[in-house]
Amino acid sequence: MAPDALAVLVFAPLVAALAVIVAPPRATTALALAGIALTAPALWVVTAAVLGGEVVEVALAGAAPPLGIAWRADGFSLTMAWLTFVVVAFVSLHALASFPSTSDAGRRFWPMWLILVASVYALFLSADLFNLYVTLELVTLTAVAMIAIGGAPAAMRAAMRYLLLGLMASLFYLLATALLYGQTGTLDLYQVGERLGEGALATTALALMITGLLVKSAIVPLHVWLPAAHGKAPGPVSAVLSALVVKVTLYILIRLWFWAGGALDDGLAAFVLGLLGAVAIVYGSIAAIVQTRLKMLVAYSTVAQLGYVMLLFPLASTAAFRAVTFHVLAHGVAKAAMFLAAANLLAALGSDRLQRLVGADQRYPVNVLAFALAGVSIMGLPPSGGFVAKWMLLEAAWQSQGWGWVAVISAGSLLAAVYVFRVVALAYAQPRPASSVRRPGTTPRGRFGATSVAALALAVLAIVLGIASAPVLSLIDLGLPPGMAP
Amino acid sequence: MTVGVVVDMMLGLALVALSLRVVTGGSLFRDIVLFILFGLLVALSWARLGAPDLALAEAAIGAGLTGALMLMAYRSIGADTEERPVRRRPGVALVVAVLTGSLVAVIGLAALGIERVPDAAGDAVLEALPGTGLGNAVTGVLLVFRGLDTMLEMAVLLVALLGAWTVLGDARPGRVHRVDRRTPLVGSLLTVVAPITLLVAVHLLLAGTDAPGGAFQACAVLTGCGVLMVLTGTLRPTAVAGFATRLLVVAGLAAFVLVGAGAGFVGHAPMTLTGTWAVYLIETAMMLSIALTMTLLFARARGLRGEGS
Repeated sequence: MAPDALAVLVFAPLVAALAVIVAPPRATTALALAGIALTAPALWVVTAAVLGGEVVEVALAGAAPPLGIAWRADGFSLTMAWLTFVVVAFVSLHALASFPSTSDAGRRFWPMWLILVASVYALFLSADLFNLYVTLELVTLTAVAMIAIGGAPAAMRAAMRYLLLGLMASLFYLLATALLYGQTGTLDLYQVGERLGEGALATTALALMITGLLVKSAIVPLHVWLPAAHGKAPGPVSAVLSALVVKVTLYILIRLWFWAGGALDDGLAAFVLGLLGAVAIVYGSIAAIVQTRLKMLVAYSTVAQLGYVMLLFPLASTAAFRAVTFHVLAHGVAKAAMFLAAANLLAALGSDRLQRLVGADQRYPVNVLAFALAGVSIMGLPPSGGFVAKWMLLEAAWQSQGWGWVAVISAGSLLAAVYVFRVVALAYAQPRPASSVRRPGTTPRGRFGATSVAALALAVLAIVLGIASAPVLSLIDLGLPPGMAP
Repeated sequence: MTVGVVVDMMLGLALVALSLRVVTGGSLFRDIVLFILFGLLVALSWARLGAPDLALAEAAIGAGLTGALMLMAYRSIGADTEERPVRRRPGVALVVAVLTGSLVAVIGLAALGIERVPDAAGDAVLEALPGTGLGNAVTGVLLVFRGLDTMLEMAVLLVALLGAWTVLGDARPGRVHRVDRRTPLVGSLLTVVAPITLLVAVHLLLAGTDAPGGAFQACAVLTGCGVLMVLTGTLRPTAVAGFATRLLVVAGLAAFVLVGAGAGFVGHAPMTLTGTWAVYLIETAMMLSIALTMTLLFARARGLRGEGS
């Protein structure tokens, strides 16, 4: 039962994508929603099995590694799969309104959207280094094409730059995979971990692979492609880029490091990765503070928030793993909400210059509220998901007496408060020009109903995640790296 | 020193020299032509290394189709300006060269230390191959043992086409510079070459189960036929993807998905091919899908129609 459910996760959206391409546009909405909705019961079945203490595995085509490819779902991959479902479900709700299936843009959007969903699920399930490469290529290429959907020259340029850097990163990853296969004779991630000894080859291969993954994860100083790509993409695309697409490479990085990277088990490499994270937190936050456009501000905030994930490598404890995994969830949900709200405001105001936000709370209260709630989680204020994540991370840093990391985490939250409050203060607290005050009789939300609801729902979820963190953490505990005890 | 070693050394030197010429040449057009030549030499190298499947794929796709796409792109960006000189920045080139050189050196040095392991996936493939009814290990890996990879690669190709359609926007299909078919040589070339390419493609497809060949090599040959027909105006680009086009474009991925997911319903693991019929079905569908996709990309079109229609 549970192994078949893994197949549903990948095949349901994929079949829906093919059907959408062939069927007439009026069937698109139903097909797409069915493809995405079917993954929920499948996830539920797998989760039940994993909570029962099982690791759900299936050897595809009946060929067990090293001959074939295995799918493997533990608590870690399932946590990521649930994040995928939640983000995709709400962003799809937004896209139903912002990319209506009968429009030209909608006809381009939905097939690629569904293929992206299938490939993200396939990536989180895969236990095979080369299969991870293929899924990663699929995710990147789909993301690139979706950035360009709007057709604006700036978006095209951003997409092209993302494509070129992404291809270079893929090449690094692929070269490393070839080296690892040559040395171990297997592509299965866990078998590579068992067979790979220490030595120059292991170090070279892992260093190459990690470099490629860092480029795709936009970790400073390899982040140059991210702000434009995430800032210029259409709203739902930005949301899923920041919430999921940059996380998939971090997921592979963590898997590789803690499950297969014994050969790199020295303090220096871990410290360097942590240092990159610290620089990302400070630089990304300051860059966000000085932005003059809302979507670029949110994009730089992603650069900063991704930095926290890198602190896992030097801390390397159970507490840090739980904290970072929870941070990936909390940031994913909150950032998707933030990008959707920003896109709604951009669509409503005609510009996302920060000055234009003055008085926006009167006309677009739902979207401003969604942005503010998501901001609470990004800043790490209680009782949000972001608070739980950062509190646990602080605790982990404290336990291992990493005072420098403690300082960086605290500073990051303070800087995040600056850029979030900059937006919120403009929207709520400025004296309002007469023209922006709502006139009686006009409906403020009007045509942005579903899109605003999607943003608000995700933002509320980002808060709720903090109150209802216990079940999520117990799922995470079932996917701890080898050698870490709950 | 045997003749083989001399040939290998000449190939190696020629590859380095050619790649140098490609990046230091003064004209974009010549660079493209040299790049195609480079691809052919890489194909020869694969053949020397005993990988005929790779050699065929490299010659057909790496040199042939990529070259055709590059020439097409060259024409569309260079149509207004005849052969403008390429601006080079020696500083940047030096940095890139040093970085790439050290990367190659590091990887090469690391690869020297590789020892053959006893329980490798490659050995497992040769052991399990007789059970599949296939004689070609490459087809066995691509379709049977690691079918998931190939299925997702088909999705990559589909996304590439969808992405190209997105970038194409509302633009009308690109003007293809057509060759007049009344030119004696062109007309007879078409009538002779088109049927032969079809024959070769089908042969490669069928041969792929037991000998070097398969869907990827076959589709490249078929695409060559498609490109020829577009260039001579036998097929004309259109701005709308009709039902048949959309169906054919997804056919390869769809066949894979249906067989792969269907296996789950009859009690097998997902992606299990229950017989050689599945291999033939998927390979045929893939060949048609890839050939159409590549021809559409070449023609910068959403659809194709016959000359008279």
